[in-house]
Amino acid sequence: MKTTRRMKRMARNRGAIATLSLTSLMDVFTILVFYLLVNSSTPEVLATPKQLKLPDSTIETKPRETVVVFISPTEVTVQGEIVARVSDIESSQGQNVAAIAASLSKVNESVIGTSTRAVAQSREVTILADKSVPFSVVKKVMSTCTSEGFEKISLAVVQKAPELAQR
Amino acid sequence: MTELDMTTFMNLMVVLLPFLLLTAVFSQTAIIELSLPSAAGGTAAIDPVFRLEVIVRADSIEIGDGRQVFASIPKRDDAYDLRSLNDQVVILKRQNPDTVSASVLLEPQIEYDHLIQVMDAVRATHVASTRPGELQQIALFTDISIGDAP
Repeated sequence: MKTTRRMKRMARNRGAIATLSLTSLMDVFTILVFYLLVNSSTPEVLATPKQLKLPDSTIETKPRETVVVFISPTEVTVQGEIVARVSDIESSQGQNVAAIAASLSKVNESVIGTSTRAVAQSREVTILADKSVPFSVVKKVMSTCTSEGFEKISLAVVQKAPELAQR
Repeated sequence: MTELDMTTFMNLMVVLLPFLLLTAVFSQTAIIELSLPSAAGGTAAIDPVFRLEVIVRADSIEIGDGRQVFASIPKRDDAYDLRSLNDQVVILKRQNPDTVSASVLLEPQIEYDHLIQVMDAVRATHVASTRPGELQQIALFTDISIGDAP
């Protein structure tokens, strides 16, 4: 049988153990791991539920620790507990929502630990509302917050890159 | 040739990477601080200084100063024409450089998303910066309050 060049090379290298060169892979991994570690070390102040689609905005203000009100397409949640249904709020006549007012006034009483105390005493509310919620519902929730003494209201959004204005 | 045995380090990396990738947060949340809560309802007495009012209707956006409406921007392709709004607001800002307060007034059935988009258009505009590939933000009416459309 004719010996090809490949067969000769194979015969010559029979004893040697082939080692994978992992150096470049390691470089990539190391950089990635450090990047992700640094990124994940900044804690998320506002945990957004998956079913909530926040609107996009170009604003850059960072969120703070405040009382949090979620308005999903179906229900309103204050500090993690469901208090009212969006459809009920929409059909109600008055400016304020009694159920939300009641749970907001309870925020001060249910203080456990220093961080929740700071949250309760900040008298601030961050509203995380879904894109599709009608303005009337958002407005009723906001006016309920102000009538309960939470004067500073912030709206949570997802940051997006700004677009160039047309000249 | 002696080589470093990196197997254990590799194991560590392979475990750490998927974990960190899964927990990484790629969408940053931010907040819009409201200047005046809308609970009070009625507007204050008419003061002499200019006050921008943007009224979002079901089919158009109207720009005014509380007494009269300057311009009405109709919806284009079933979406609000935010670029035109932004251009108009820039013109008004040139005429009234000292004013920072504005009102965004909405009809009850307008979706919350449009409120944020309109507030964005009123609050700032973005122009090409001296550095290529970067945009410079120019603040317009930063002090925005919200209310019901009349």
